[in-house]
Amino acid sequence: MNFQAALALGLPLGIGIAAIGSGIGLGLIGQGAMQAIGRQPEATAKIQLAMIIVAALAEALTIYAFVTMFLLSGKIQ
Amino acid sequence: MGLEFLGRVRRTTLWVVAVVALLTATYAAPQQALAVALGAGWSLVNLALLERLIVALTGTERGSRSAVRRVAGALLGLLLLFAAGAFLLGRLPIAALMSGFIVPYAVLVLKAATLLLLPSGLWRRLTRDARLATLAVTLVVGAAWLAFSPLRSQSDPQVREPVATTAPGAHEDAVAHEPHAAESTGPEKFPNVITVLHRAFPNAAWAEFLHHYEVIVFALLVAFLLGLVARLATRNARLVPSGLQNLVEALVEGLNDFITGILGERHAARYVPFLGTLFIYIWAMNLFGLIPFMDSPTSNLNVTVALALTVFVYAQYIGLRGLGIVGYVDHLMGSPRNVTGWLLVPLMLPIHVLGELAKPISLSCRLFGNIFGEDMLLVAFVSLGVTTLSFTHLPFGLPLQLPFLLLALLTSTLQALVFTVLSTIYFLLMLPHDDHATGHKAGEASLEHSPI
Repeated sequence: MNFQAALALGLPLGIGIAAIGSGIGLGLIGQGAMQAIGRQPEATAKIQLAMIIVAALAEALTIYAFVTMFLLSGKIQ
Repeated sequence: MGLEFLGRVRRTTLWVVAVVALLTATYAAPQQALAVALGAGWSLVNLALLERLIVALTGTERGSRSAVRRVAGALLGLLLLFAAGAFLLGRLPIAALMSGFIVPYAVLVLKAATLLLLPSGLWRRLTRDARLATLAVTLVVGAAWLAFSPLRSQSDPQVREPVATTAPGAHEDAVAHEPHAAESTGPEKFPNVITVLHRAFPNAAWAEFLHHYEVIVFALLVAFLLGLVARLATRNARLVPSGLQNLVEALVEGLNDFITGILGERHAARYVPFLGTLFIYIWAMNLFGLIPFMDSPTSNLNVTVALALTVFVYAQYIGLRGLGIVGYVDHLMGSPRNVTGWLLVPLMLPIHVLGELAKPISLSCRLFGNIFGEDMLLVAFVSLGVTTLSFTHLPFGLPLQLPFLLLALLTSTLQALVFTVLSTIYFLLMLPHDDHATGHKAGEASLEHSPI
C-alpha cells in the first residue's frame, strides 16, 4: 500500500472516529442542559450560554479532524 | 525646531530602521538587512557627532575649556567613524548601506515638511470637511498606485516570460492551470465574482491582483457594507426608532446585554464595542458566502487567524495592563500562595502558557473549519443535484442543497456567537478577579483550566 492509499483510507476514517467522539460529547451536553433547563427553567439563559460554549469545545475536535483531512487531502493525487 | 527635534528624528529613525531591517531580512537576505541597519546607525552617529560639534562651537559656552575638549572629541569620533565607514563600504553591499544611510535624512526631511504643512491654512481647510479629506486621500492613493504601476508591470513579464515563449496552445493551457497550481489543491468552491472575472480576463493585471487578494477584497466589502448600514441607520436618529434604526438598535442592545451579562457591569462598557463589532463582522462575513457570486472571507484560514490573533493580543494586553507584569506572570504560574502552589509552578507555567497559545489556534480553526465545511457541504450537494439530472441534458439540477442552506444560516450565526463568547471569556479570565458576581466565579473556575 502506498501512502496515498493509506491517506485515502485513513482520512475519512479519522473524521468518522472524531465525529463519533464529539457526537457522544454533544449528546451528553445536550442531555445535561435539557435536564437542567427542565429543573430550573428560570436559569435558561445562563445554561444555554454554558451549553453553547461547551458544545463548541466538543465540536471543535471534529473540526480539527476536518481541517487535518483538508490539509492532507491535497497529497492524494 | 530645537535639539529635541533632532532627538525625535533619532527615535523615529530607530523604529523605521528596525522595521525596514526586519522586512529586508525576511524578504531579501540577512546580510542586506545588516547593511541597512549599519548604514542607518552610521548615519545616526554621524548626525549626533555633528550636533555635538556644532553645539560646542556655537553654544553659549564656546571658547571655554570643556567646549574645546568636546570639539576635539567630536572631531576624533568623526575620524574614527569615517574609517569605520570605509571599512563597511568594502565589506557589505553598497546599495543597502546607502539606503540605510539615507533613512535619517529622509525622516528629517519628512518631519520638517509635516511641521511646515500641519499649521498651514490649506491643510486645515482640507481636514475640516470629512468628504474633502476622503477625496484627498483617495487622490494620493490613486497617484501612488499609478506611479508604482510601471514598476509592477516591469516585474510581471519577467515572471510570465517562460510561459509566453512556448507554443500558443501550451500558453493557454498553462494559464488555465496556473491558479490550480498556485493555490492549495483542495476541492473547488463555488465561483464568485472575482474568480469569474479572473477566468474572463486571464491575462489582465488587475484581475490577477483581485484574484490574489480576493479574501481581503471581500472582507473590506463586508466592512464597507456594515459601515454603510450603520451610517444609514444613525443618519437621522430619533428618540422613538423605526425601520432600520430599530433593527440596528435591537441588535446592539441585545449584544450589549449579552456581553454585560458575562463580563459584569464594571468592565463591560470598555469591551462591548470591540466584542460586539467582532460578532457583527464575523456574522456578516459568514452570511456573505450565502449570497450568490459572493464568498465568505471566513472560509479562508488567513482571515480567521487574523481575527483570532487580534483577540489574543488584546487579551494579553488586558492581562498585562490590569494585573501588571508581576501579576501577569503570577497568573500564568497559577497564582501560587502556599508551598504546594510553588511546588506546582514548573507544571502549571507550561500548561498555562500552552493554554494561552492554543486559544488563537482553536478559535481560528473552529471558525474556518465550520464555514469552510459548510461551503464544501453545499458544493457537494449542488454537484449531486446536478449529476442526478445530468441524463436529461437540462441546464439545471435538483435543488438538493436547500435544507443545508438553512443549516448554513444556523452555523453561520452560531459560530459568530461562539467566537464572540469565547473571546469574551478569554477577556474575563484576564481581568482582575476580585469583584465578580459569585455565579461567574464558578463558571470561571471550571473554564480556567480547560484547554479552550
